[in-house]
Amino acid sequence: MLPKYDVLTQEQVEIIHNESIKILEEVGMDFDYEPALEVFRAQGQKVEGNRVHFTREFIEGKVKLAPSQFTLHARNPEHNLVCGGENIIYMPGYGAPFIQLADGTRRKSTMQDYDNIVKLAGASKNMHMTGGTVAEPQDIPDEIRHLKMIYSSIKNSDKCFMGSAEGRERAEDSIEMVSLLFGGKEVIKEKPVLISLINSLTPLKYDERMLGALMAYAEAGQAVVIASLVMAGSTGPAALVGTLALQNAEVLAGIALAQSINPGTPVVYGSTSALSDMRNGSLSIGSPECALFISASAQIARYYGVPSRSGGGLNDSKIVDAQAGYESMMTLMATTVTGINFVLHTAGILQYFMAISYEKFMMDDEMAGMLLHYMKGFNFDEDGLAFDAIAKVGPGGHFLTQKHTRKNHKKEFRTPQLSDRSAYEAWSKESLDTNQRAHKQWQEVLASYVAPALDESIDNLLLEFIAKRSE
Amino acid sequence: MNEIFEELKQAIIDGDEDIVEELSQKVIAESINPVDAVQLGLIKGIEVVGELWKAGEVFLPDVMMSAEAMKVGLGLLEPEIAKLGMSQGEAKGKIVLGTVEGDIHDIGKNITGAMFTAAGYKVFDVGTDIKAEDFVLKAQEVGADIIGASALLTTTMSAQKGIIDYLKEHNLRDQFKVFIGGGPTSQAYADEIGADGWAESADEAVALADRMLGK
Repeated sequence: MLPKYDVLTQEQVEIIHNESIKILEEVGMDFDYEPALEVFRAQGQKVEGNRVHFTREFIEGKVKLAPSQFTLHARNPEHNLVCGGENIIYMPGYGAPFIQLADGTRRKSTMQDYDNIVKLAGASKNMHMTGGTVAEPQDIPDEIRHLKMIYSSIKNSDKCFMGSAEGRERAEDSIEMVSLLFGGKEVIKEKPVLISLINSLTPLKYDERMLGALMAYAEAGQAVVIASLVMAGSTGPAALVGTLALQNAEVLAGIALAQSINPGTPVVYGSTSALSDMRNGSLSIGSPECALFISASAQIARYYGVPSRSGGGLNDSKIVDAQAGYESMMTLMATTVTGINFVLHTAGILQYFMAISYEKFMMDDEMAGMLLHYMKGFNFDEDGLAFDAIAKVGPGGHFLTQKHTRKNHKKEFRTPQLSDRSAYEAWSKESLDTNQRAHKQWQEVLASYVAPALDESIDNLLLEFIAKRSE
Repeated sequence: MNEIFEELKQAIIDGDEDIVEELSQKVIAESINPVDAVQLGLIKGIEVVGELWKAGEVFLPDVMMSAEAMKVGLGLLEPEIAKLGMSQGEAKGKIVLGTVEGDIHDIGKNITGAMFTAAGYKVFDVGTDIKAEDFVLKAQEVGADIIGASALLTTTMSAQKGIIDYLKEHNLRDQFKVFIGGGPTSQAYADEIGADGWAESADEAVALADRMLGK
């Protein structure tokens, strides 16, 4: 495994930390949820209206309680994941309202899309879990959407997945459903199975919906990603360091809340900070500044000793084109080489989070595979040095008929899934570009995918629960 | 006297609300014609900003600060105009703008408001998490041409339809144009719920309003 690299000095990380503490002490943050305010009051923090002013001791003390890594348990234990340390967890994009189609048109996403993307992630060698709201199923009424999504995540794959963050009630529904799957709340309290995405409302706020979900998950011992998306220039300052300090203040306050509710709650330090384009105000995630935020966030999380979440195959392109490719590779590479642990939005994202594309998913899946291979680095054992093969062939000749070659290339080389390495004439028979090849490929993957069997009695319990909650 | 109008115009272009405030108070103190101050000062300034933005010569913060400065100037001069019983001249149109009930995301709405201001509309920003009823009450109060409703979440988009339903229920549907916008919205969704207009960006929303109101 290659070492993860740093973009800040230790001193610079400490400057950011101290700026964040200053923001939390002097400016404070708004929490629009009474139960959260009660927690802070009980912890001796200054609460005036919805505004909380924190002390350095409180924030630093609470953040220390967060585990440096934890295991997320999957229906199939082979897919259990360790979040933190040197590990990387890739998964599909999250929360996009649209599906971008290969022909360049766009439509609302549906439950069918959700199922399909869970299956594609289930089938992928490079996606470690299936994620959360992989597509927003807009054909399902809002009140029961979360139930259908959790069910699909359980049914269509046996990898880890995410819970609903849409308020306390839906978080509790998510917890009930995984309790049915894993054999009770006590079981999952010991072995967390769900991880959910809690977002601040930048600048310096958390809303009721997210706080309700955060508290429900913390009480149930489930993991939460606590993330801030600062749009530098609009919801944050037009300054990279100031943006990081603002983001950091928000995330630290969220982590402190989770640890106050249930010390040792598995939390992930999250950042999606990016830019506002200064011409039209839109979010820009395929930018070098965003790659810097990702890289710095990995390092800031390491400073606190908590796992990190940021980055992905991020881009502002509208279609699966060269811009989608080069921006996504920059951000996913920054994510991976600087040591982000939990990578929401690895695959499928277009249009600054507004759309998911099946073709982009396949392209990103390829990039994820390339980067996982890159991170493996070099093999220095006898096969890696290959002295015997070099001696055997000697001057002139070639290595293609060596046993070493036949055996070792499978270990050392990665075979592309989507990239075309054929000669020009061979390629030109069909002349398919990446978008067209990916379009064919995802349909083939879906057609041949067999979802892992789910115990029928558990399946029935889940369906009964959904029926009861849908009344 | 022309000089102060020129200064007001420049202060709007510079987005300097302090100077706009100072100059507007001077207009009042020295009994200078407030209608002229608005027409020849503030509006001329914001027109320049609008043109510069279209030409790609200024950025969003420039437009938004000019719009803020405009608001300060109008806030001081309009009551004066009313007090003197004068007519201010017609605005291009009036728009009530807000984020729908259940949603508190407002950056897109704020940008839209600034763009409408820069284009010469009167903008009444009612804020975030606004009930259908409150959009409509404000629109009636100010005699708005357009109600603009923003939503960022797929779960709050239905509140945009709620405004249209409310207008229909109260036989007010033909009194206001309803514009919707926000990340998860689309032309197809606007058509589905019977909105009059949808735009993906603030400047497109202004262009649409211009076309629809025939201004």
